[in-house]
Amino acid sequence: MALENPFQDPLRFERQAPECAIVIFGANGDLTRRKLMPALYRLAYDRRLSAGFAVIGISRTPLSDDQFRDKMLESVKQFSEDTRVDADVWAAFARGLYYVAGDLNDAALYQRLGQKLTAVESERHTGGNALFYLSTQPSQYAQAALGLGAAGLGKGSGWRRLVVEKPFGDGLASARELSGRLHEVFSESDVYRIDHYLGKETVQNILAFRFGNGIFEPLWNRRYVNHVQITAAESIGVEGRGEYYQEAGALADMIQNHLLQVMATIAMEPSASFRATSVRDEKSKLLRSMRAMTPDEVRRNSVAGQYGPARIGGVDVAGFRQEPGVDAQSQTDTYAAITFFVENWRWAGVPFYVRTGKRLPKRVTEIAIHFNPAPLHIFDDDGGESAPNLLIVRIQPEEGISLKFLSKRPGAGMTLRPVSMDFNYGSSFGERSPSAYETLLVDAIVGDATLYTRQDMVEASWSVVEPIQNVWREARFDFPNYAAGTWGPAAADEMLARRGHAWRKP
Amino acid sequence: MVAAGPGGIPPERVLRELADLWVALGKQGQDEGGAGVLRACTLTLVVLAEAGDDAMALGETIAALMPEHPARAIVVKLSGAGEHALTERVYAQCWMPFGQRRQICCEQIEITASDAALADLPSVVLPLAAPDLPVIVWLRSARLFEMPPFGEIARMAAKVVADSAGFADPKRTLRLLAETARGGVLLGDLAWTRLTRWREMLARLFENRDYLAKLARISSVQVAYDGEFATTAWYMGAWIVDALEDAGVRAKVVVGAGRGPAPLSVELAGGGFRVVLERREDRLVITVDNTKNCTNLPQPGDYLLMREELGIVRRDAVFERTLASAARLAYATD
Repeated sequence: MALENPFQDPLRFERQAPECAIVIFGANGDLTRRKLMPALYRLAYDRRLSAGFAVIGISRTPLSDDQFRDKMLESVKQFSEDTRVDADVWAAFARGLYYVAGDLNDAALYQRLGQKLTAVESERHTGGNALFYLSTQPSQYAQAALGLGAAGLGKGSGWRRLVVEKPFGDGLASARELSGRLHEVFSESDVYRIDHYLGKETVQNILAFRFGNGIFEPLWNRRYVNHVQITAAESIGVEGRGEYYQEAGALADMIQNHLLQVMATIAMEPSASFRATSVRDEKSKLLRSMRAMTPDEVRRNSVAGQYGPARIGGVDVAGFRQEPGVDAQSQTDTYAAITFFVENWRWAGVPFYVRTGKRLPKRVTEIAIHFNPAPLHIFDDDGGESAPNLLIVRIQPEEGISLKFLSKRPGAGMTLRPVSMDFNYGSSFGERSPSAYETLLVDAIVGDATLYTRQDMVEASWSVVEPIQNVWREARFDFPNYAAGTWGPAAADEMLARRGHAWRKP
Repeated sequence: MVAAGPGGIPPERVLRELADLWVALGKQGQDEGGAGVLRACTLTLVVLAEAGDDAMALGETIAALMPEHPARAIVVKLSGAGEHALTERVYAQCWMPFGQRRQICCEQIEITASDAALADLPSVVLPLAAPDLPVIVWLRSARLFEMPPFGEIARMAAKVVADSAGFADPKRTLRLLAETARGGVLLGDLAWTRLTRWREMLARLFENRDYLAKLARISSVQVAYDGEFATTAWYMGAWIVDALEDAGVRAKVVVGAGRGPAPLSVELAGGGFRVVLERREDRLVITVDNTKNCTNLPQPGDYLLMREELGIVRRDAVFERTLASAARLAYATD
C-alpha cells in the first residue's frame, strides 16, 4: 500500500491541485485567453497550484515558449477581473508555461507533445500526471483524443484525464459517437465534460440549500410546488459568433446542457453522499425521468423565437438575421421556451418552464419556485392569488436566494402586502468567490468529477431535447417574432397562460 | 458609525438601542435614495481586550472580519484597577459591497469594565449574544485567562480563541490551555494558527513521492525559536512528531531557543535526508538536502489569523492532539 502523507490537515489547508501538466489544445483561442489562463493564474496567486505544475499550450500558430508566455500575460492582464498581476507570482507561474505548435490532424504533433511532456516532467516534476484540455472546435475533439491515443499519451506513469468543452455532440447519436471515440483512449471515469454553469457558487449552493437544511425538502414536491421557472436571459446578441450560433441555436446552446443540468440540480432526489458517483447518479436519474415529448406535445409545450431589429436606449440594434455571418433567412432560434415534465412521484404534473434567449431586456439567470397559494383566503384583500410564495435562486448577476411571502401592512386594518427576505451571497459573505473555471480546473486535477457531466447525463438530456429539435427542424417559423430588448415572443406568454401561469419579469 | 447614548448596562436597554439603531439606519438608507440596509449576522464575537490594546487596530481588524463573518461584535475593554465601572455604547459597522446599492451593516456593542466589575461581565454579555448563533470569544488579555469570570464567559462560548504568544510563561500556558481543552472548551490558539502556512508548505513538500519515500529515514526534529515564538515552536515540534508517528516513524525532538538569524526554524533530518524550513523576514526558505527554495510568506496579522479561526467552529482534532502533545513535550524537557 502506498504511504500517505501524514502532514495533511484538510480542515486547515486549502484544497490544492497536485502536481501535473495541463495540455491545452486551442491555446490561442478565446476560451484559453479569457477564462482558462486567468483562472490558472489566480490559482497560482492563491498558492493553490503545486510547484510541480506546468501548462503546455498547443495551437497551429508557431510561437516560442517565451512568446506564448508574453501572450498569456497580456490575456491575464486583460481578463483577470479581480486579481492583481503580481510580477513575482507571474514570473514563477510563467516558468511553467510551454508551447508546442502543430496541426491536430498531424501525427507528428503528438510525438512532439510526448517529447515535451517527458522534458517537462523531468524539469518541473509533474509526476507524469497530465490533464488534456480540449478547447478547440468540437469537430476536432475525437481527432485530438485519437491522436493522443495513437502516440501512447493516453496512458503514462501518472494519471491521464481529458476535459471536453460543450457541445457534447449535436444530437443523441453524435453524442454517443463522440463518447465512443473518446473511450477508445480514455475510460469514462477519466473524461471530464465541463459545464461551467455547474462550477458557479450558487449552483453548488443549491445543493447546500436543499440538502444542508431540513426545512425546505419537505416542501420540495408536487404537493406544495405549483410550478418552477428557470430563466437564463442575455441582453447581448451573438457578438460576432453568428456563424457558430446559427448552427447551434438557443435550445442546443443553453437548454440541452446548462439549463437541464441546473434543473437536475433543483429537482434531483437527495443523494446518499456528496461523492461524485452518488450526486451524478441522482442527476442522471432525474434527467432520465423527464418526459420525452411527442411531436404534438412539442408543438404545445415549446416556443422558438428569434430577435428582430429594435431601438434600445436610443441605439439601433440589429436583428439576428442582420448579424454578420448569419443567413438572411435563418431559422435559428435565439430564444427557446420549453415546458418540461418530470415523470416521478415527487414532480408528476408540475410544469418546469425553462426559457433562454438573446437580446432580452437584461442579463439574468434565476430559478423561481412558485409554491401553491394558501388553501383558504381568510383576509378580504390579501393579494394571495397575485402574490404566491416564491423562492428565487439567483445565479447571476447577483447571486443569492430570496423568499417572498405576505405580511401585514403596518397600520389599521388587515391589509397584506408581499415582502421579500433576501440572502445575498456576495454581500453576506464578502469574500471573493472563485470563478467557475477555478473551481472546475482544481476539481479535474484533484480527480473530483462531481460537477462534471457524465455520458449517461448527456445522453439523457439529448433524449429530451432531440424530439423538440426534430419538430423545430421541420417547422417554418415566422421569424423574427420578438423585438430585441423585449422578454421574447408572445407565444411564450400564451404557453404559460394556458396553465394559468405567467412568466416572471426578473 | 452611529453612536447611541452611554449609561449603565441593563441588557434590555442595550437591545432596545440596537433595535433603534436599525430603524435609524433603515430610514437613513431610504432617505438617501438607497435600497435600505441589510443586516447580516452569523455569530456573536466577544472580544476581551485590555484598555491599552490598540483600539484603532482592533476596530480595523473587526471591520475587516465582518464581510466574511458578519457578527454582532461585543468588545469588552478591561480598564484595570479602580472603582466599579461598567459602561457601554452601541454602534454599527456598515459597508457597501462592490457594485451594489445596498448597505450591509453589523452591530457592535462596546463595554468598558473595570476589574472590580469583571464579576458582573458574564451576566451582561450573556443576554446580549445574538440568539441561536454561536458565540466566539476572542481573548486578547493574557491576565484575564486566569481570572474567575473568564471561566464563566468561556462556558457560554462555542469557541474561545486565545493567543498564547502574548502569555508570559509558555510552558505553563500550554499546560493551562490543555487543561481548559480537556475541560470541554473548544479552543483556538493564534500561536498555532500562525503555523498553518508553514505546515501546509511542509505537507506540500511530502506530496512529492520521492521525498515521501524518504520519510522513514527521519530520526531527529529540531525546532529553534526566538522569544515570542515559544509556544508556536512547541506546537510545531509536537505536530511533526505526532505526524511522523502516524507514519510509523519515531524521531527525537528538540525544541529550544535559537541563535541563528531566523526567528523560527525547523529541521527534519536522518539517513542522509535533511529538510529545513526557516522564516527570514517575509520569506520562508525551504531547503531539501542541498536544494534551496524561497517562497513569499508574510507574517499573518490578526485579521488573517482570526479569519481562519472563525471559519472553524467545530472540533479540530489535529489541534487538540497537538496541544496535548505540546504540553506533554514542554514539561518532559524540564
